[in-house]
Amino acid sequence: MTHGKKKAIILQWVEDYTEDLLNWVYQKTSNQVLAEDLTQDTFLAAFQQIDRFRKDSSPKTWLFAILKHKIIDYYRGQFKNPIKGRIEHVRIEGFHPFNADEKWISHNAPVDWESNDQYLLNNPDFLKILGYCMDSLPTKWRAALELKYFTVKKGVDISQELGITASNYWQVIHRAKLQLRNCLETNWFKKRKDNEDDKQHVFFLS
Amino acid sequence: MTNNMFFSCLKATELVEKKQIAGLSCKEKLQLGLHKAMCGACKNYERQSLFIDVLLYEREKDHQQPHINPLELQQRIKKRLAK
Repeated sequence: MTHGKKKAIILQWVEDYTEDLLNWVYQKTSNQVLAEDLTQDTFLAAFQQIDRFRKDSSPKTWLFAILKHKIIDYYRGQFKNPIKGRIEHVRIEGFHPFNADEKWISHNAPVDWESNDQYLLNNPDFLKILGYCMDSLPTKWRAALELKYFTVKKGVDISQELGITASNYWQVIHRAKLQLRNCLETNWFKKRKDNEDDKQHVFFLS
Repeated sequence: MTNNMFFSCLKATELVEKKQIAGLSCKEKLQLGLHKAMCGACKNYERQSLFIDVLLYEREKDHQQPHINPLELQQRIKKRLAK
């Protein structure tokens, strides 16, 4: 295939599939700039590798497969970058809700959320808090979590992709969840409870 | 023996995550079960950890639309390809 012909094909695909790719990756990452970059990278990669595209498959499927790899690569890079080169031993630091005896510090101990209703995801206020809490996580931890939920792979495989041991991997997930849990509890579940208590209080007073 | 059976909240919550990712040995299962029977906070932790899993899996299915005109991005990509 000539260079010109390849380019013509890709330009047509850009025309046809940019919107689909962009919307999809945005849903996966909730990050506008990242979504645009990964969509663009997908077409550039497709252009480089177009000889590997098999005519009997659908361009859309092929482009989505590339995009999926791009997302995984992105999170993998995010995970590895903070400690370039030495990835065997991930230092676990940051938020620590336990005391010297490794028991919960009392104000950090998980309380009953009184809810495990996934319809919370329909509540824009809750989504805002969830986004905020994800954003507050250290880059590495967040990348490990995102990768966990993006790929439906078993944890052991993800740890291989990240270049760490399985036990290191669940320690990272553990720390990430400790912090995420605390953030959600402080900014949503406890607040909501306080508000309800206040309302009852007002009711009894009136 | 008994000392082995009772361990910290840090270890217990770590096992909660290990359980979901790699599975637990019989001894670890027993240890975690015993710990949870005595520790309400860690029991809450496990429930919340599973709930967070559901939230983050499902969150990917929500249908937010990006606030960008795909046409704009199309133009940008075409320019890059022209280089």
